[in-house]
Amino acid sequence: MNRILLADDDIELCDMLREYLQAEGFQVEAVHDGDAALQRARTNDHDLLVLDVMMPARNGFDVLRDLRRSSQMPVLMLTARDEDIDSIVGLELGADDYVTKPCNPRVLVARIRATLRRAQMTAEDGSEPASPEVLTLDDLQMHTGSRSVVLEGQAVAMTSTEYSVLEVLLREAGHVVSKADLSERALGRKLTRYDRSLDMHLSSLRRKLGPLPNGAERIKTVRGVGYQYTSP
Amino acid sequence: MHRLVWKIFLSFWLSLIIFAGASLTLASLFVEHARSEDDEQSPRDRLKLYLEEARRIAASEGTGGLTAWLEQLDRREVTPILLIDAQGRDLLGRPVSAHLAERIERPPPIHARHRRIPPRGLVQTPGGAEYRLVPDFRAVTLQRVLTRPRVVAIPFIAAAIISGLVSFFLARYLSRPIRRLSRATRQFGAGDLGLRVASTLGGRRDEVAELAHDFDHMAERLQALIAAQRQLLSDVSHELRSPLARLQVALGLARQRENNQPLPELDRIEREAERLNELIAQLLSLARLESGVGLSRAEELDLAALVSEVAESTDFEISGSGRNVRIVTCTPAQVEANPTLLHSALENVVRNAAKYTADGTVVEISLTPDDQRKGWILLQVRDHGPGVPEHMLARLFDPFVRVGDARDRASGGYGLGLAIAQRAIQLHGGEIAARNHPQGGLSVSIRLPTGQARETG
Repeated sequence: MNRILLADDDIELCDMLREYLQAEGFQVEAVHDGDAALQRARTNDHDLLVLDVMMPARNGFDVLRDLRRSSQMPVLMLTARDEDIDSIVGLELGADDYVTKPCNPRVLVARIRATLRRAQMTAEDGSEPASPEVLTLDDLQMHTGSRSVVLEGQAVAMTSTEYSVLEVLLREAGHVVSKADLSERALGRKLTRYDRSLDMHLSSLRRKLGPLPNGAERIKTVRGVGYQYTSP
Repeated sequence: MHRLVWKIFLSFWLSLIIFAGASLTLASLFVEHARSEDDEQSPRDRLKLYLEEARRIAASEGTGGLTAWLEQLDRREVTPILLIDAQGRDLLGRPVSAHLAERIERPPPIHARHRRIPPRGLVQTPGGAEYRLVPDFRAVTLQRVLTRPRVVAIPFIAAAIISGLVSFFLARYLSRPIRRLSRATRQFGAGDLGLRVASTLGGRRDEVAELAHDFDHMAERLQALIAAQRQLLSDVSHELRSPLARLQVALGLARQRENNQPLPELDRIEREAERLNELIAQLLSLARLESGVGLSRAEELDLAALVSEVAESTDFEISGSGRNVRIVTCTPAQVEANPTLLHSALENVVRNAAKYTADGTVVEISLTPDDQRKGWILLQVRDHGPGVPEHMLARLFDPFVRVGDARDRASGGYGLGLAIAQRAIQLHGGEIAARNHPQGGLSVSIRLPTGQARETG
C-alpha cells in the first residue's frame, strides 16, 4: 500500500482528502504546516508527498527546496490555478508534477498514480520488463536498474520524473522526440495546451548535466517540434 | 509674491515701463546721432551739398522733381529745409516764419552787390521760376523730431519686440503647465494611475502649482481606492477557492459512496462547481491584468495558428447547435506574446461571438494586415446576432456589463470574457474595439503590432 504524506493547511480539506485517498487504496498522513511537512518527509516513511504551495510559516516552495537537498522523494505540488508561475517555480525546484487547486480529486489520484509508477520503477527492481542495462553516451552513464545517472564518474541527483524524461531522450539520442510523445512516455499523460511541465523538467536537466564535453548543447530544443539529445 | 496675479500684473507693468524707457532712449539716440552727423559735416557743407543737388534736379526735372526731392529730404533731415518762391511761399506749403521772410527780403550785403553775385541759395528751373533754399534752424523742435517717419518707426519696433517677448514668455509660462496638466489628466483617465505632475513643475509655487498638487492628491486617493478595490476582489476570490476545493473533494467522496454511479444531481453540482471555479479564475486573472504587471514570458508566436486553434476548438464546443465558427481569411503573422494570455483573449472574443450568433449562422473570423497601420495585423470576429445598442458599445469591455435585452439577462450578460480580452490585448500593445456590422451582428476588431512593426519602430 502506498503511503502518502499530505501537506496542506486546510484541515477540513485534508480530512476529506484522506478519506477519499484511503478509499482509493492509499495510506495517508496529513500535516498542516511547512515545518511538520519537512520533518515528516525526511523520515522516508512515505512514498509520495502532496505539497500545497500556500502554507503559513514555511511555504511549499521552501519545503521543497530544503527537501531536495537530501531527498529525491516524489513530490506533487498543489498550486493555485491562475498562478501558472507557481507551477513553473515548483517544477524548477524539483517537483515531479503539479495539480492546480481546486481540483477534481479524480485528477489528483490519477496524477499520484502516474508519479508513483515512475518512482517505483526505481524502488522495485524487476518491475521493468527489460533487464537492467547501462546506457552510455559520451560522458554520461545511465543505469536503468537503479535508475541512476553518472556524469564523468559523479552521480547526479535527479527526481524520478527528470530521470524518466532523460531516459526517453537518451534512448532516442540523435532523433527528435516530439513534446506530445515525450509527455506520454515520460510523464504518463497526454500533453495539454500550454503545459510547461516538460520545459521545466528539461531546463533542470540541462542545468544539472551542463553541456557536452565538446561544449555543444546536450539537449536541443527543436522549435515547434520537440527535443533532441545530441548524439556524437 | 508667487501668486499668478502678481506675475501677470508685473509682466504687463514692467513691459510698459521698459517700452517707455526704450522709446525715449532710442529717440534721444536718434537726435544725438543727427547732432553728431552735424558735427562731422558742418551745416554749411551740408547746405552746400543740398543746394547743388537742388540745382541739378531743378535743371533736369523742373518744379515737379524739386517737390519730390524736397519731400524726401524733409523726411530724413531734422532741420527743415525750405524752398521759397518769389511770392515768399514754401514749395511744400509749409509756413514760412517771419524771421525767415525777413532774411530773404533783406538786400544782399553791399560788397556782394558790387560783385553782382546772385542771392545766396538761389535755385532756378529752366521754366524761369526762382526759389531760394533756406534752412530753418529755429524750427528744430522735439515735436518735429518725434514726427519724423524714421523716429515714429522706433517706438513701434520697440513695442513689437518688447511686448512680443514678454507676451511670448508669459503665454508659455502660463500655458505650459496647464497643457501638461491636461495631458496628465487625459493619461490618468486612460488608466495610468501612477501619474503625478507636481514634481515636473520645478519650483513653482503659484495657483498652477497648487492645482498640480491637488491633482496629485486626487490621483493618490483614486489610485489607493482602486488598488483597495482590486485587492478586495483578489482576496475574496482567493478565499472562495478554499470552500470550493472542499466542495469538490466532498463531491468526489459522494461519488465514491455511490460507487461512481451516475447521479444527475451530482453531475449538476459538479458542473456548477466547475462554473464557479471558472468564474473565480477569470476574476483573479482580471485582477492580475489590472494590477498593472507587465507582459511576462512573451515569446514569438504564430498568430494564424493560434487563431485557427481557437476557431476549431470553439467550433467543436458549439457543434450540434447549428452554429459554426469559420475562418474567412487568414494571413500568416508572428507576434510577440504570452501564449496563455493571448489565447484566452482570443478564446473569450470568439466564444462570445459564438454565444450570441443566431442559430444556423456562422461566426466569421478574418486575419488581415491592418490598412491603417503598417506592420500591424487586424483580427475581426463577426457574429450574426442581435448586435449591441450603440451607446453600450464602449462599455462592452467593462466587467459584467449587461446590454439590456432579455436574452442577455437570461445568459448572464457578457461576464468577464471581453474585459479580460481587452486587458490582455492592451498588455500586448494592441487595441480592441467593437462595432455593429452594417449588415447586422457585432464585429470585434483586434489590432496587434507584429514583429515587422517593432523592427521598423
